[in-house]
Amino acid sequence: MDLLQQRVNQAHASGNYQPVIDLIPYAGVLGVHCERFGEEMIFRLPCNLDNIGNPTIPAIHGGVIASFMELTAAFQLTLQLEHPALAKIIDFSVDYMRAGLNRDTFAMCTVERQGRRVANCSIIAWQERKSQPIASARGHFLLDSFSSLT
Amino acid sequence: MSEQILQKCQRFIGALAHMRKLQMQVIKADEKSVTVVLPVQGQLVSNELDTYMHGGVLTTLVDTATSLSTIPALKEYELCPTLDLRIDHMSAPVASQPMYAHAECYRVTRNVLFTRATVYQDNPSKPVAYAISTFMRPGSGNTDLAFKSLVDGVKETI
Repeated sequence: MDLLQQRVNQAHASGNYQPVIDLIPYAGVLGVHCERFGEEMIFRLPCNLDNIGNPTIPAIHGGVIASFMELTAAFQLTLQLEHPALAKIIDFSVDYMRAGLNRDTFAMCTVERQGRRVANCSIIAWQERKSQPIASARGHFLLDSFSSLT
Repeated sequence: MSEQILQKCQRFIGALAHMRKLQMQVIKADEKSVTVVLPVQGQLVSNELDTYMHGGVLTTLVDTATSLSTIPALKEYELCPTLDLRIDHMSAPVASQPMYAHAECYRVTRNVLFTRATVYQDNPSKPVAYAISTFMRPGSGNTDLAFKSLVDGVKETI
């Protein structure tokens, strides 16, 4: 995991998080970006016609929104861990509240508790304003890189 | 009948930009269930890390499969928005094999559809993930007519 440690350190130093995001191929396919504001990280999913899942509204694919939120949590954990490791997902549950229109979507992850082995995350995603989320999600991640789910 | 359902599912998935991007295909569909495959593809493989290869994309596969399972469950096509989705990941999928999602809609009520899915790779009896998802019915007449014709295969241009 030296590569990850190196990328994370560089990203924190330069403020450019793209090299870390590029480590997960699907994040690149979706076009995920990340910006840091003080201590807070906001993830952005730019408007992209390839992410449409409902051509009638048109609206972003529900799976894309959920994946974006899952990636937000995974990156948030990776970036805030003392010894970065790609957190392994245990479970993920998302509530859809509004249609995600074909425009930029933002997401933030709050780590509600970070234990030795498991982190509890809650994530919200919004477009126009954070007070009107399009979806909220909860997920558990396995932190111990030596533990295996298999 | 199964053939018609399969074609309906294929027309639906073919109409979605993100599904074309991921080359997702419906390989089996009948009155009860649908099976969707995510083929192995370069854009989802990382040369740098060998972990978390399918990060996120499993979620998209499951959402698609459960959404498709609402098609055989309803007499008339309705475009049902997802209400919630929950996935339990039992093991990490490997990048070198395609990923399959088998989904069924096990209960239809006036307003809500209840679905479940299993995700597997080489062995269907050893899933990498389980999922449940619920969908809201839009109510009759609330699905875009042009899109409904497209899914139903009625010769009308969207």
